[in-house]
Amino acid sequence: MTNHRGGWALIQATWLSWMQYRSFFFLLAFSWMIGPLIYLLVWSTAAGGGTVGGFSRGEFVAYYLILILVNQLTISQTTWTMGELIHNGQLNRLLLYPMSPVYNTLASEFAGKAVYMLFVVPVSGGLALLLRPELHLTLANGLAFLPALALAWALSFTWGYWISLLAFWTTRADALLTVEYSLLFLLAGQVAPVALLPDALQVMAKLLPYRYMISFPVEVITGQLDGAGLLTGFALQIGWLVVALAIYRFLWRRGVRRYTAIGG
Amino acid sequence: MTMLRPLKLTALFIGASAQHELAYRANFWVSLLNSALNFGTGLLGVIVLFEQVESVRGWEFAQTLAVLGVYMTVSALRGLFISPSLDSLAGMDGEIWRGEFDFTLLRPVDTQFVASVRHWRLFSLVDLLLGFVVLGVAVTQLALPMTLAHAISFVLTLLISGMLLYAILLAFASLTFWSPGFLFGWVFDGLFQMARYPVGLYPGVLRLVLTWIVPVGVITTVPARALSGDLPPALLAGSFALSAAAVLGASVLFRTGLRRYASASS
Repeated sequence: MTNHRGGWALIQATWLSWMQYRSFFFLLAFSWMIGPLIYLLVWSTAAGGGTVGGFSRGEFVAYYLILILVNQLTISQTTWTMGELIHNGQLNRLLLYPMSPVYNTLASEFAGKAVYMLFVVPVSGGLALLLRPELHLTLANGLAFLPALALAWALSFTWGYWISLLAFWTTRADALLTVEYSLLFLLAGQVAPVALLPDALQVMAKLLPYRYMISFPVEVITGQLDGAGLLTGFALQIGWLVVALAIYRFLWRRGVRRYTAIGG
Repeated sequence: MTMLRPLKLTALFIGASAQHELAYRANFWVSLLNSALNFGTGLLGVIVLFEQVESVRGWEFAQTLAVLGVYMTVSALRGLFISPSLDSLAGMDGEIWRGEFDFTLLRPVDTQFVASVRHWRLFSLVDLLLGFVVLGVAVTQLALPMTLAHAISFVLTLLISGMLLYAILLAFASLTFWSPGFLFGWVFDGLFQMARYPVGLYPGVLRLVLTWIVPVGVITTVPARALSGDLPPALLAGSFALSAAAVLGASVLFRTGLRRYASASS
């Protein structure tokens, strides 16, 4: 479907309605920030005047401040937007719109991310002034960061979207979500940069999709990866995105055929 | 009100909550998974850090593990009844939010008492157990002789921490009377998470905030110090005084807030 104008109108309307509740979303952004912030402080204290695992104090600060921003840009919220719609039977209305229901999810996505950024950008800017990050930015790393970030967002969005589609079959996807959150915490560079994880965890982190949703772009921009690391990273990121898209298409076709709602 | 009545009421509340919880049996497995993952990720967080360094500002692996154990134990107490009760009052979609607090006010018992103990989540006993497991591991890692005095002072500090946590949560819940709709509990959650690690690891200003303004750091650091046999009597007395003052202050705040409550009908 190609009703882009309708889609854009929906995005604007959603943004305006979310801004009404901005204090709620600022609070949400605050609570997502705390995890990485704790590890920023713990690791930068551990580094002190020297280095830990090759990171200096300022490099930990730079790594985690960028991670905070990337995390909020790529975090998946479809489980409680799309998932709820399927649950409550409100998907009826969307199926009747003259455009794909994915626009509705995208609208919440853009509105949400814009509202979070209004909070997170000034706060992390302030933290940067306070904590003096140390970033050796090269042009190549800066340029590679952009596609890595875009792919991280796309992967996180599609991955979250297929999980939310499980609501067509079951009301209990929360066990899976619990596992997802733990893996995101452990393997996506939050508890520690992936390079500092013990070997077994590091192998898992590099193979599974979670690193490619959050920390991979951060590793790219902070210059932690060599040429080979960059290439395999991008290859795995794109590979997982293809997998996620395939699962999404499969689940959406089956799910929407199966979908019935009661009442209005 | 006789002395026994609060106890009887609490027992009734526990019974009713248990019946409610047993109605959702599939939830048990998801909760179990959740607890196991919390346990695992918490432990790995500390292990990953101390794979890289020997000690951070004088905090070694065993002592940091003790802080984590205390954090998990106190969190379990919070999840057992403090949070379920206070959230139903001041949380998202709570009674103040919906204006249904009138029904609670009309009951012939002390409002603060009912609001604090009416809902229980017995599953948190599993989390309590996991907290004890971490504490046990910390004790073996500390490799200190456990004396009776040592153990008693640890239990005392744990109780003091429980009181302090209750006081802070009650204070945050009371703030909802002034600003219904703002989720003060979420702000607290963020700050409380910081207590996973010793306050000594945080930079100066934050350390002061976590010690004096929202004393969540005291909640975990003091019992962990007691466990590693490093508790000056003055600190024990000081933290007791702090938590007693906090409970009193929070009660006053709650009662003052109650007077502002104007229901939701218009």
